[in-house]
Amino acid sequence: MSTVVPDGTAHTGLETLYREHSGWLHGWLRQRLNNSADAADLAQDTFIRVLLARTAGTLKEPRHYLATIARGLTIDLYRRRSLESAYLEALAQQPERYAPSAETHAAILDTLMAIDRMLDGLGPRTRAVFLAVQLDGLSYEKTGERLGVSVSTVRKHLARALMHCLLVEDA
Amino acid sequence: MKAILSAAVDWYVRLHDSSVDDATRAAWQAWCMADPRHAAAWARLEQLQGRLGSAPRGAAQTLENARRDRRHAVKALALLLGVGAVGWQGYRASPWSADYATRIGERRRLTLADGTRLDLNTDSRVDVCYDAGQRLIQLQRGEILVETAKDARPLSVRTVAGDILALGTRFSVRQDNGVSHVAVAAHAVEVRPSRASQVVRIDSGYSLSFAADDIGPLQPLAPAGQAWAEGMLVSVDWRLDEVVHELARYRPGYLGCAGEVAGLRLSGAFNLDDTDVALASLEDALPVRARRMTRYWVRLEPIGKG
Repeated sequence: MSTVVPDGTAHTGLETLYREHSGWLHGWLRQRLNNSADAADLAQDTFIRVLLARTAGTLKEPRHYLATIARGLTIDLYRRRSLESAYLEALAQQPERYAPSAETHAAILDTLMAIDRMLDGLGPRTRAVFLAVQLDGLSYEKTGERLGVSVSTVRKHLARALMHCLLVEDA
Repeated sequence: MKAILSAAVDWYVRLHDSSVDDATRAAWQAWCMADPRHAAAWARLEQLQGRLGSAPRGAAQTLENARRDRRHAVKALALLLGVGAVGWQGYRASPWSADYATRIGERRRLTLADGTRLDLNTDSRVDVCYDAGQRLIQLQRGEILVETAKDARPLSVRTVAGDILALGTRFSVRQDNGVSHVAVAAHAVEVRPSRASQVVRIDSGYSLSFAADDIGPLQPLAPAGQAWAEGMLVSVDWRLDEVVHELARYRPGYLGCAGEVAGLRLSGAFNLDDTDVALASLEDALPVRARRMTRYWVRLEPIGKG
């Protein structure tokens, strides 16, 4: 590239942040996760997030900021684990032996993570309608029978769910 | 826009009905054609469908099971983390993946539908939107090199700073916070910042930086500035901290250098596929050594320190 702008301040800031707070963050996570290896991984990931955001030098309350990021990563970790175990269980119940490659497995989990995140904030009935129509491919009539609601209710909840998904993308 | 999205959703719900008739389909088509914003809203619904289409068989059940398993864990977790259900739902990681993306240290070369060649540098993301009227490449993050193919439709690159219209050409765009750096290797491009009325033409051999409301001066192209597409970083009389800052883009974690050695100057070519080799050659060429705290934490320091 034509111009290279040294970013010394951000790096120095991050180094200070790491030196002063990484021990604290690791302890904070260990206390909550009850698992030292997970805590170490998430502490590392937290600093990588800070590095990518290039905000290290400008923080007023670094521990609050670090804890906010670490919290989000912890939630993601739980989300991923729950989806992975549900998916593996579903695979195990399939009659034919089907073993996806590591790459496919990771891509499927990413897809499930993304859909799961998108559905956060939907009510149980709206989510159920969305999943039945969009992922199971049921007709409105079949969906209504399965959930014990009218076709017009199915339409209403489907519209609500789709709108939610489109707006979440913007957030 | 929200009202239009809502209208698009209504159309979708009507069209998805098993009893949909031709008159409804015709009315929907007329709606799509009536306004480009209608068509754009519809395209977003189709994108959503595409994403859902990559879900595995039985995904609905898997998602419901995972959510049920988690409900219990979440209550305990929310107490530990000090967040309520709002915290769980309010947290969002990165948005939906763009069409093409690279990880840190990765590069990709693509040929698009019209034959245009697109190189993605490390840690980059683009959305490619081609339609009947235009070819649009939205650079979300990172750096690309574009070599356009001949086509009747105009090709432009869009960044947060504005649009770059290609005039039959080879050029690179790098997005860095709110600033876009454009360097033109062949022919020319036109730059239009999103919040300024100026249009500036950049001819072959020149580069400039611009933000949404400001355009910087034209500057001669740096030698071998687009060598990254071939996996090389070429520095000609650069400061060490400049070299380190560039190499850091290709490595996950932190790579830095101590202030005492930041001003050392060097010229050289580095292989971007293995930044450890690049660091070793810096240690050979200059009185510095790399101090490693973890694989993700490397700092160049003067020899004899620490």
